[in-house]
Amino acid sequence: MSRVRLYLSNDTSSCAAGTERLAEAWRQRSGIELVRTSSRGAFYLEPMVERDSPEGRLAWCHVTADDLPRILAGDGGIPVSTIPFLSKQTRHTFVSFGMTEPLSLEAYQAQGGLAGLRKARQVSPSAIIEEIKTSRLRGRGGAAFPVWKKWDVAATTQADRKYVVANADEGDAGTYCDRMIMEGDPFRLIEGMLICARAIGAGAGYIYCRQEYPAATVCLRAAIRAAGEAGWLESGGQPFTIEVVSGAGSYVCGEETALLESLEGRRGVVRARPPHPAQSGLYGRPTIVSNVLTFATIPNILARGGAWHASLGTEGSRGTIALQLGGRVKQPGLLEIPFGLTLREVLDQFGLGMADGARLKAVQVGGPLGSLFTDAQLDIPICFDEFAKADAILGHGGIVVFDDQTDMLELSRHLMAFVADESCGKCVPCRIGSLRAREILETIQSGQATEADLSLLTELGDTMKATSLCALGSRAPYPVLSALQQFPVEFRSRVRS
Amino acid sequence: MLITIDGLPVTAHAGDTVFTAAKRAGLTIPGLCTSEHLAPFGSCRLCVCEVNGQKGTPASCTTPVQAGMVVHTQTDRLVQLRRNVTELLLSEQPKDEALPATLHELAQSVGLDHVRYRQPAARDQLRDSSNPFFTFDNAICISCARCVRACDEIQGTFALTMVGRGFGSRPMAGASGYGESAMGFATSNCVSCGACVKECPTGALAEKTIQQQGNPTETVRTTCAYCGVGCTFDAGLRDGRVVTMVPADDGPSNHGHACMKGRFGWTYIYAEDRLKTPMLRTGSTWQAISWDVALDRLAYEFTRIKTESGPDALAAISSSRGTNEENYLFGKFIRCVMGTNHIDNCARVCHSATVTGMMETLGASAATNSIQDLDQAKLIMVVGANPTESHPVVGASIKQAHRRGVPLIVIDPRKTELARLATLHLPLKPGTNVALLNGIGHVVAKEALLDRRFIDARTDGIDDWLKAVEPCTPEWTEQITGVPADLIRAAARLYATSGASLCVHGLGVTEHRWGSHGVMALVDLALATGNLGKPGTGINPLRGQNNVQGASDVGCLPTFFTGYQALNDPALGSLHRAVTGRPLPTKRGMKTPDMWDAALAGRLKGLWIIGYDVAQTDPNLTKVHEALRRLEFLVVQDLFMSETAKMAHLVLPGAAFLEKDGTFTNLERRIQRIRKAVDPPQGVLPDWQVVCEVSTRMGYPMSYHHPSEIMDEIARLTPMFAGVSYDRLESPEGLQWPVPAVGHEGTALMHRDRFPKGKAHFVGVDYLPPGESPTEEYPFTLVTGRILQHYNCGAQTRRTDILEVVDVDALEMHPEDAARLQFAGGDLVRLVSPRGHAILPVVLSERVQPGQLFTSFHFPASDVNSLLSSSADDQSRCPEYKVSVVRVEPVEREELDADDERELEAVHVRLIT
Repeated sequence: MSRVRLYLSNDTSSCAAGTERLAEAWRQRSGIELVRTSSRGAFYLEPMVERDSPEGRLAWCHVTADDLPRILAGDGGIPVSTIPFLSKQTRHTFVSFGMTEPLSLEAYQAQGGLAGLRKARQVSPSAIIEEIKTSRLRGRGGAAFPVWKKWDVAATTQADRKYVVANADEGDAGTYCDRMIMEGDPFRLIEGMLICARAIGAGAGYIYCRQEYPAATVCLRAAIRAAGEAGWLESGGQPFTIEVVSGAGSYVCGEETALLESLEGRRGVVRARPPHPAQSGLYGRPTIVSNVLTFATIPNILARGGAWHASLGTEGSRGTIALQLGGRVKQPGLLEIPFGLTLREVLDQFGLGMADGARLKAVQVGGPLGSLFTDAQLDIPICFDEFAKADAILGHGGIVVFDDQTDMLELSRHLMAFVADESCGKCVPCRIGSLRAREILETIQSGQATEADLSLLTELGDTMKATSLCALGSRAPYPVLSALQQFPVEFRSRVRS
Repeated sequence: MLITIDGLPVTAHAGDTVFTAAKRAGLTIPGLCTSEHLAPFGSCRLCVCEVNGQKGTPASCTTPVQAGMVVHTQTDRLVQLRRNVTELLLSEQPKDEALPATLHELAQSVGLDHVRYRQPAARDQLRDSSNPFFTFDNAICISCARCVRACDEIQGTFALTMVGRGFGSRPMAGASGYGESAMGFATSNCVSCGACVKECPTGALAEKTIQQQGNPTETVRTTCAYCGVGCTFDAGLRDGRVVTMVPADDGPSNHGHACMKGRFGWTYIYAEDRLKTPMLRTGSTWQAISWDVALDRLAYEFTRIKTESGPDALAAISSSRGTNEENYLFGKFIRCVMGTNHIDNCARVCHSATVTGMMETLGASAATNSIQDLDQAKLIMVVGANPTESHPVVGASIKQAHRRGVPLIVIDPRKTELARLATLHLPLKPGTNVALLNGIGHVVAKEALLDRRFIDARTDGIDDWLKAVEPCTPEWTEQITGVPADLIRAAARLYATSGASLCVHGLGVTEHRWGSHGVMALVDLALATGNLGKPGTGINPLRGQNNVQGASDVGCLPTFFTGYQALNDPALGSLHRAVTGRPLPTKRGMKTPDMWDAALAGRLKGLWIIGYDVAQTDPNLTKVHEALRRLEFLVVQDLFMSETAKMAHLVLPGAAFLEKDGTFTNLERRIQRIRKAVDPPQGVLPDWQVVCEVSTRMGYPMSYHHPSEIMDEIARLTPMFAGVSYDRLESPEGLQWPVPAVGHEGTALMHRDRFPKGKAHFVGVDYLPPGESPTEEYPFTLVTGRILQHYNCGAQTRRTDILEVVDVDALEMHPEDAARLQFAGGDLVRLVSPRGHAILPVVLSERVQPGQLFTSFHFPASDVNSLLSSSADDQSRCPEYKVSVVRVEPVEREELDADDERELEAVHVRLIT
């Protein structure tokens, strides 16, 4: 009798949600073949078990170990294609997620992997950059800089060596799409880096992965080894090496110049720009530093053409965005959709509204430096330009929903304390200003503050925005000042008259 | 390009930032983290600006200029931001203490009268006073990291780092952040160059002398009197005393940098035991006498000896530390008054082989290029030199170049700091320079790496050299030198093909049995590859003492008159007579080692030594001491009762460099002023006045009102100094000789179009073994040399707080040898050579190879030079300091003399690795 093949996510979030427990429980069971896959990102359904059927995959959700007989009997599974959270998405970068074994070269290629690299190798480096230009892809790490411009600068800057660096220091609370890619589809990242290497003429690549992602590091190293054995790791006839470097627990090392300092073995502090890394980056050589998600977007663009990518999304924001929906919604998880939906549509259609009994108070988009939105502000389209107009950021696509139990003063203090802890300590406004802002917020909490302190906080925030060396310091005031603006009573009621 | 700043047109250059362009135009933008010596950093955010057409308020110190850009630095918005940033800076300072002056001024300039933050957390109260010369107080620091960057970017020692993050980030020395924060500097690899102190904007790093004696109220520009780099300094004075020495930013050879010795090692001028009055010795009794009595006595004795035994019974050894003017005058005295050429200087025992070797090949014996050429070199080759210790500012420049990616070849038996960093380190056996350089030459010739065009146009004698290198295959060379053949090939290819290879060499080339040959082999290599007469190339001896170049230049040599003019040149003879009224003796005089032989033979009876402790620093001390004892009258002029002075009949006190006017000539031929900053001890005369007085007493009146008149006389007598005068030396750049005419700008790069004698001359030299080789009885090769912290005989440095860093000559022994002989670090051992013995503490060190030993010679108690032989280079008589055979024996404590001055219980040693 042939064994029944069951698919179970090996993603760290899925494991935490119970898939690892199931795998443990079922490991010795005869009659089944457990396949550990990437995750579909519908974490609210985990632990989720799938099996093949003529109608495609069937899924069993919130599974316990005792559910095995039911699953083996084919009892109660629903077609994955009918799960609205997934079916409403437009998956291109995450198209294979939940389907394949992360380290299977065959599976990667069966899903269309390497088509982009093959295409890239058929055309000239400048043609690759032209294709990226056509795609109108902007960087996905937060700054949203046109990718082709960086590549063009690095390609045209003369140097004895050039580098490709993947920024995998995914530090925003509530974000995890980079980790999912590294754990779930590492060859896509590698392929993207190889295409970039060919475009700019780089001979070595690094993946700077945050220390808190041990599984991603292990998976990447295995994938690099496999890719090397399969002969993929070359560029322009020369070997292209990729090394995974583990960070040391500093949030600011997600900032590209601090990352480069850290990669060089130094203290992770921000470098003043210019020069930009594309001109003078790692070891002073032209370097493309891009987010993992950006690199993972590249293969499809080469395979399907820049025009295809440009046909998705809004005028200034082409392609899809990976949002990571978290906090007090019913359905947290990863969604890939074209730019343009409003924040409210995302919360309603994918989050399915607030968790039971909770009422929305605020939404923070773009990590701990992102601005806060109230219910009244949720009709903003999700795209770079509209967010910029609203003094907000999409950042890395993290969305955290707070409910009405949230103390906005304490949240502000918490976020400012985070910046004070994570400041690299180089520039004065961030090094001292973040602490002073935290102190003022604590004074307000203690009931000792006056109106003068509130206006000092506002003025300090303005100074930090204008004078900080990098986005950590210059963005730090936004959530606090937007909280102060949206929820003035929570602050002023604690202030002495 | 033209840009507009605050409405004013400003001329800017490519590479400028808004900040540097504004500064050059005389506009003031506040900024604390920026420094002309450091790369743009952008941390204090005080220099924010607005640029038309650009968003935001970037720091002007990190904003590159672009043609036509319109910049504002003083808008209301910017002033407010600046005030707020200043307020943040002030908010972390101690509340109850006065603000550092810089912050106080900053607050005033931005109109900040109080800090609005209530009870802001202040900086950690951490203090590190462990460095002998300066302290660090974290409370008044602003974490701008200028100190850290100075250590990295200027000095290249990396002793400092920033530690912690966010508000708590602060500088620290060594690993003190993880342990004893109060001992950071003492336990780190800090070399006390003082770059961090100079860069500190708030006084968080502060010199102890200033803390004790107050800030200087005036400054006097002068030139350092230690090594030959010729760093210029501003001596800071308060109440007639020197309280600090700050390296000058416009110093042409140091650009604001310095080393431990020059920066902090000047306090010996206030040592208790400075000689203040002339002293006459009768037997073993010393008697203080008046200057009149002393000068009369000197004149009497020298006249008597000259009358009784003739001019050749008298000789003089001049000071390589004295000024050009003093040296010239001393030479004039010996030639015009005594009537002989028996004058020499300390160059004899250091770079005399360079003089002979370079004279014979190039026709001029000084650095062919300038220190600044290190910035243009595409490869740097360091041969037998340890510049990060002996010429630290040049060493730092080499490290900077290497950090920029310039490949570095080091040829040295020892793994010095530069050897550790080098692209290629060729660790040859001591005494095998010629073999190695010929081996490299062999590869150059064999692999057709010769610069044929240069050779044809600029040289002759190539065949002589080709014949010499022909048998020196890399394999043969490996046999002789111990350097792997592949390394020899790699070095040859790198040196020959870089496009601009600059060579610096030191006493590891010259102080050998065949030192002149070593220099010639080196020059041959440069000629063969066209590495002469171009920027970023050349043969550049690192002269060891502040004016060893100048002392030789102005004629304190037995074989040349000023400017290396031949003594028997008839035209010179008549000019000399016209200028001085006396004939120029034409017979070559005695070199220093010849003087010892002559004294021992009874031919030399009177000797006058200025500022040179031969009784401690010359080799084969037993012989030197015996020679000195044989003299009928020995006069020593010095700052202190040196080992040589102790043997003198008459001792005259001297004035230190801070106490007189004159000029020094550095290792790149740069003549620079020294200026009197303070008075010498009561009654002490500069050396030049002493010489004048004695000369006058001996019937040849000398009268000068100022050293500038002496320089004028040198210029009249010396074609290569013809255009030198004190007026022109007022400029901070000084003048690099040759300066053949009054309007001539001086010569930074020699041999650009022709060599002094037309073409340069290859001299093929064959390898010959050193004077002695290890035997069963004496199995070790001892190399001696300097260490960073001390200087030659140590007379100066041993009278400063440098003793807190190093207070002993230590014997470096490879751990394998130590293990085999069962010595541990700190053990006392007796070194025994065929000449003598010395007792030293052992320090285990991988800077030396097994079978080799190294020690310094800075402490008289060590008596290291008693071990050395009188073996010397044939042509130059430069002694073979670098190769002596010894054996090592254990010493029991009971064997030590009770009066052994060394406190061997707790010695301080600091190796630079």
